[in-house]
Amino acid sequence: MEARPVLRQLTTLFNSCSRTGQTRLQSSTRRTKKALKLPPHPSFLVSGAEADHITYNPRFLPPSDPRRQAQLSSLLRSSTGLAPTAAATNSTTTTDREIPALEEKHQVPVPKFNVTREQVAEMRALRAADPTKWSVVRLAEKFECSKLFVMICCKASAEHQVRERERKEAIKARWGPIRSQAREDRKKRRTLLLRGEL
Amino acid sequence: MSNYTMKRLRLDRVASQLLAAPTSPAARLSRPSRISRSIPQTCRHSSLYNTQPCQRRHQSTAAPQAPREEELVLEPEDGEPIPETLRSGPLPSPHPSRAASSAKLAALHARLSLSSKIPVETLARALVDPSADAHPKYNNANLAYVGSTVLHYHASETLIARYPRLPMAILFTAMKGYAGNPALHQVARAWGVESAAAPGEEVDPGLLQFDPMKPTVVMNKWGYVRAETIESQKFKSGKGLSGRVMYSSNPFGESSAAKALPNFEVDDGRNTKTMLLQNAPANAHANFVRAVIGAVHMHCGRDAAKSFVKSHFLSRTFDLSKLFEFDLPTRELARLCARENFEAPVARLESETGRLSRTPVFVVGIYSGRDKLGEAPGPDLDSARVAASINALKAWYLYSPGQVSVPSDTFAEDAAPWKPAYVDIGEIIS
Repeated sequence: MEARPVLRQLTTLFNSCSRTGQTRLQSSTRRTKKALKLPPHPSFLVSGAEADHITYNPRFLPPSDPRRQAQLSSLLRSSTGLAPTAAATNSTTTTDREIPALEEKHQVPVPKFNVTREQVAEMRALRAADPTKWSVVRLAEKFECSKLFVMICCKASAEHQVRERERKEAIKARWGPIRSQAREDRKKRRTLLLRGEL
Repeated sequence: MSNYTMKRLRLDRVASQLLAAPTSPAARLSRPSRISRSIPQTCRHSSLYNTQPCQRRHQSTAAPQAPREEELVLEPEDGEPIPETLRSGPLPSPHPSRAASSAKLAALHARLSLSSKIPVETLARALVDPSADAHPKYNNANLAYVGSTVLHYHASETLIARYPRLPMAILFTAMKGYAGNPALHQVARAWGVESAAAPGEEVDPGLLQFDPMKPTVVMNKWGYVRAETIESQKFKSGKGLSGRVMYSSNPFGESSAAKALPNFEVDDGRNTKTMLLQNAPANAHANFVRAVIGAVHMHCGRDAAKSFVKSHFLSRTFDLSKLFEFDLPTRELARLCARENFEAPVARLESETGRLSRTPVFVVGIYSGRDKLGEAPGPDLDSARVAASINALKAWYLYSPGQVSVPSDTFAEDAAPWKPAYVDIGEIIS
């Protein structure tokens, strides 16, 4: 890099000596861009072998795999937590510091199986009596179960379903083009995400 | 003799007439009685296509040129040669004797590095689609059937041995990616095969001959097809994945959705091979490729066919990880952990940047106990968690024991005894 100004001076000298008048400078956009163009850092490039790489996970090796035998000692240590320092070499196990878990709403819900048969009957009675007051969300809160479980147990009346649908349609009708487009895009992004293309 | 409908297919018997099929008139003159005796037996075994005229064909031993179907009608019983004037019309495909003088054919033979055991006449026959020449002795239908079974066998055993945990839908698609019509069409194009504008006697034998307007043969049979398949098609059942496994009539999990043609020339109406075709050029090219595999199998043997399939088809790049599309990846991973007695998966935030900015990045890892199952970045916590679950599931499904032996390795004389390969019990959520 240091050689460049020197070289340029030399070339300008040579040019001025040989031809009087015009000298080529980097004063055009194209030349400047060309001069400033740098190759990307190697870490930015995804090589073919790396792109095809499948996550190697010692946890997923079947008992018949010879690689599991080789990993057995470290697997045992990592699962019992006896030697967490040895795991520093292994990228797939945690180190000493505990990594914070996400909030409960970002975790897969664990079924609690806490609702009894009588409670289910009560849930159905409440839902049938006043579906507007005892919505799915409220029932789920009351019985400490998931919304999916409430929907498995109860079925709202047809009138209530129609009313809810109309209410939703009315809300959607109020959306402008920007919001509708944003929601469409969100759906597309979700599809791409589940296909692993995002 | 319903022998061929059994699960075990005897390729040597099915295709024995391919080797015996006379390509030069001289060969037929020298051994007339033997061929004509052996034909009825092979006909019974190779009743995949109509072989009705084949008995009469070989009795015409004294014909100076290979007689065609039109001639046979006129042929007198005493075997007199038929004058040229009695011929009803031009041949539907070039005469086999012209194969030796075709430069294109010789070039194709050399380009594929085929063994000298495979005559150019066989290669010429592989280039004739049933839509160009309906006569089963002169088209590639029988060769293509042999080739398709060889190709499907090697593709499926390689896929299952190398990726023992693939879900069924992915396995079907992968089979199609390696052995389906589009892939074989590409292979034929890469081999430099050109198609003739229209089939006919005067066409260069080195060109692929097919007629998109005429009925042809589709290789969609897969071993044993259940009798209920037709019923299930009629009532539109069996569309789910288990139905595809049970009732599919081809190795790609598709039941033949196309309607059968009422007036077909090739088939005898009993099997389901003759169908209305969507992409006739692709089918013709694919059948040619299959016929070449069949020719290699018949003339050079099993091992040569295996290495041919391996080098031309199974070595093609095909990214299996791109085929996956998940519905509920987080739930599926939780089910997997429960099934395999791992601890329940927990999503942990490994690092983040720009949480309050317009473009935040979160790196979320999925942990089972102290082991990390997967990790992915994402623009929000939920996307990152879903992507991490997808990565973990792909790592599970795409597990590969590496280069393992396949069942066909034990065909060799000095092969080690077969050790059972690891194959997973099945999909997590199906």
